[in-house]
Amino acid sequence: MQSKSAPKQSSSASAILPLFEFSNVVNSSLDLKFILGTVLLTVMGKMLVSKGIVFLKRDQNVFEIVNAKGIDQSAIGQTLKIEKPPRGITQPERLAVSQQSWGYFFKEHHQKLLLPIVSQKRVVGLLSLGERLGGKKYSTAEKQLIESLVNLSASAIEKAVMIEQLKDVNRSLDRKYQELNTLFDLSKEFNVVMDAERVVRLLTFSLLGQVGVSRYAVCLNNDGSLKVVASRIDKQFDNAGVMQQLCVLTNPELIENLIRLKKFKQAAEELQRAGIVAVIPMKIQNQVKGAILLGEKLQGGGYSKVDLEFLYSLANLAIISIENARLFREAIEKQKLEDELAIAREIQKGLLPRTLPDIPQFQTAAINISSKQVGGDYYDALMVSPDEYVIAIGDVSGKGTPAALLMANVQASLRAFAPMGLSISDATSRINDLTCMNTGQDKFITFFWGRLNAKTREFCYVNAGHNPPFLLRANGSVERLEEGGIILGLMKTSIPYIESVVTLQSGDVIVMFTDGVSEAMNAQEQDFTEEKLEAVIKPIRTLIPDEIIKRIQIALEEHTRGNPQSDDITMLVLKAL
Amino acid sequence: MSEFKINQRDGEGISVIDLKGYLDAHTATDLETAFQKLLNDKKYNIIVNCRDLSYISSAGLGVFMAYIEDVRKNNGDIKLSNMSPKVYNVFDLLGFPILYEIYKDEQEAIVKFKAKAKS
Repeated sequence: MQSKSAPKQSSSASAILPLFEFSNVVNSSLDLKFILGTVLLTVMGKMLVSKGIVFLKRDQNVFEIVNAKGIDQSAIGQTLKIEKPPRGITQPERLAVSQQSWGYFFKEHHQKLLLPIVSQKRVVGLLSLGERLGGKKYSTAEKQLIESLVNLSASAIEKAVMIEQLKDVNRSLDRKYQELNTLFDLSKEFNVVMDAERVVRLLTFSLLGQVGVSRYAVCLNNDGSLKVVASRIDKQFDNAGVMQQLCVLTNPELIENLIRLKKFKQAAEELQRAGIVAVIPMKIQNQVKGAILLGEKLQGGGYSKVDLEFLYSLANLAIISIENARLFREAIEKQKLEDELAIAREIQKGLLPRTLPDIPQFQTAAINISSKQVGGDYYDALMVSPDEYVIAIGDVSGKGTPAALLMANVQASLRAFAPMGLSISDATSRINDLTCMNTGQDKFITFFWGRLNAKTREFCYVNAGHNPPFLLRANGSVERLEEGGIILGLMKTSIPYIESVVTLQSGDVIVMFTDGVSEAMNAQEQDFTEEKLEAVIKPIRTLIPDEIIKRIQIALEEHTRGNPQSDDITMLVLKAL
Repeated sequence: MSEFKINQRDGEGISVIDLKGYLDAHTATDLETAFQKLLNDKKYNIIVNCRDLSYISSAGLGVFMAYIEDVRKNNGDIKLSNMSPKVYNVFDLLGFPILYEIYKDEQEAIVKFKAKAKS
């Protein structure tokens, strides 16, 4: 300082006192704005200058305008890239050609003097001054005074800058802490919530709170395409094309970036029209299971990379819970379905006769293998008078408990009417009328039944739309028992059912079956067919009924080769001895 | 566990909601229910007194966001008051002071509502 002081003793003494005062004021503050303002105004006041600018070094070679007097205030906040800032006082007008690019800025704003703010040999900022009133030149002594003032404030400026940075760091730490808290808060809650709807609602609240948006949509994957499950959006956007494109999104993205990609252009434009700014995919094992769409932040300022990363974690946390909730619900529904099927199977089993009645001079055998879904097949055989026996087979439309209950209904009416001495035709009409009363339009029953007189060997039957049983005569001919009428349950009887009588000779066999036999499918989706059934049973009609059924079963297994059974398989075989 | 309580005081066209305890993802829906009820009852001048609020998570803040538009559309407002520094810090971090009027004391918020009603 001594060496730099002015040559004349008197002027130096008058200069020192204000310098001391200035140093006191500046160094007692930690407020950067205040310090910079004071420095600039003091220098401008002493030099009678109307324009001045203070820059702070923000980055390598990057200087930000933090205070400016006498020039357009919109310049504040602008940055200037200055390579090799001057080490001492310079005149911007005389800058070398290589420094023209940034030097131009000073010329434009009529800055005549530029000097660095140096603290501990490092440039921490710049200060520039415009023309003096009356166009007076800066004398050497005045330049020295300016340097002194600036140097006196340099350490205060640096200190204040550091405090500002610390505050920033502190705040971003606070924010990180807060983000972690949000994730923790949600994961804790998600763990105990097994309801996807509530998960989505909590997710929505956290999004709204964390990023301060009011326009959003949450989409979830539903059978391969995304569906909006919660939203507050002014304009419709969820057409199939948009949703399809969202499904292949790999990372959180801003719409403005997506628009530039050909693959997403169309969807991105549509979303932009709906006010969406950012898209966050929700992924599980690289599969997009959903997406969060967000509008503008209400506080202003776009989404930073950090924002997007945080939202991405939030999204993935939520989707796992949503997926878990879905799996949980599915498991419960599956269990419920299985319970219901178990009940249906129970009902069906209860309906089937435990043993077939012994019919003199006849042999019988029956089988029912219910499918997983329980198809509603039914067969029955009972004695109605000392010589008469009723034999029946049927198939109810539909599956599960409703089918089983309807079958129970038919069985009840069959067992009620069969011993009443009605003709088979009349009894069928009554069963049909009762069934019509008890069922809706969509339920019906194919039914074949008949009354066998063991003495006369006459079998009187009605076929109500059931697969016609095969009558294999001992002589090798084959007949189908088709006569009857319309299936049960469709409409009240208007045309009487036709009953037919066949007389069974020794060795004649009737094979009754349901469509679970003829339509048993192999892996190539080919039916077993009635033709094939006929071909199988023809050569084995001499066997006992039990054996006939076994052979048919073997033929079925050869056809289906382990392909899952989709319908009940039921057969009843009656053979005259 | 975290306890959360909501109390509502109605008077002179203004409803004051007192929050107590932890407002987080677990309790956010309680506040939602309270706001929904206010809207159903067409009570749009709302002050949320945070004197006994010890913690707020972003899910809690989200509930304010979810309802503010509907309230303002009906010429009302949600004003906040009596926040502890800790709770205010969360509001501040997430930029809420720009979006909501936050007062030191409930009385100031009441005065604001009344001034508006007169004009």
